[in-house]
Amino acid sequence: MNPGPQTITHLFGKSYLPVTDTLIIGWVSVILIIILAKYLTSDLKLRPEGKQNIAELFITAVYDQIEPMIEGEGWKFLPFIATIFIYIGFSNLIGLVPGVPSPTADLNTTLGLALVVFLVSHFEGMRDKGIWGYIKSFGQPVIFLLPLNVVGELAKPISHSFRLFGNIVGGGIIITLIYQAAPGLIPVPLHAWFDLFIGLIQALIFGMVAIAYIAVAKQ
Amino acid sequence: MVEFAPEVIDTIIRASALLGAGFAMIAGIGPGIGQGYAAGKAVESVARDPEARGNIITTMLLGQAVAESTGIYSLVIAIVLIFTI
Repeated sequence: MNPGPQTITHLFGKSYLPVTDTLIIGWVSVILIIILAKYLTSDLKLRPEGKQNIAELFITAVYDQIEPMIEGEGWKFLPFIATIFIYIGFSNLIGLVPGVPSPTADLNTTLGLALVVFLVSHFEGMRDKGIWGYIKSFGQPVIFLLPLNVVGELAKPISHSFRLFGNIVGGGIIITLIYQAAPGLIPVPLHAWFDLFIGLIQALIFGMVAIAYIAVAKQ
Repeated sequence: MVEFAPEVIDTIIRASALLGAGFAMIAGIGPGIGQGYAAGKAVESVARDPEARGNIITTMLLGQAVAESTGIYSLVIAIVLIFTI
């Protein structure tokens, strides 16, 4: 049993360009999200009704999470944070389909997302404080703590990505073990717990931690 | 000096890796205590101020996620020990 992503084919026949199943599912989920978003936002009205209400409910909920932590810039960060929420939530939910691995059960996906958050937070910190103020912020509160601060900053994307990866992979391994020990209807409630509850909670936490990292970098 | 056959050495390495995976998961105790403590404090806060329920739950989840990191590290190490050796 190998729980990692399986290599299906190689791009252009090169051995250093493997195409894994999680990569393909990731692209499929991106396309499905685009179709869903196009459908929900087609024919927008001033007085929302039906499917537009769902989209507005979601956008307002995300905005209410960002605004208290990054004051006055909720609309600026809304597209970025909402994309993280939608993509990770959808990726975790797609694991409900039997035989389809979650794209987030691959460290490449989660580390990529965490690195994007890392770059955005440092870019925002640099723009808010200026280059010199940004460099000086590593020497706070005393200059001797500079190496600790640098290591602490570099550990952020690692812990950020491993948290999502470990949760999804751990749930997947437990479900696989239960399927081998007791097939039938017994693993179904476990899907509800590990894929629905843990999946959605982890998407929420990934986005909330991303907001917290950006807010900390801007202070 | 006792000479072991290569198969015996392989078996010893594999057994040690599996034992190490089990020992690594002892780290699961810490996040369990920490998350339980956070949840208990959140229940106390909600009982004192039911109005702030939404904010308290969000803060609790965020704190629990950060407290979970050490447990997840040990889980990843255990998975690596089990499936790569």
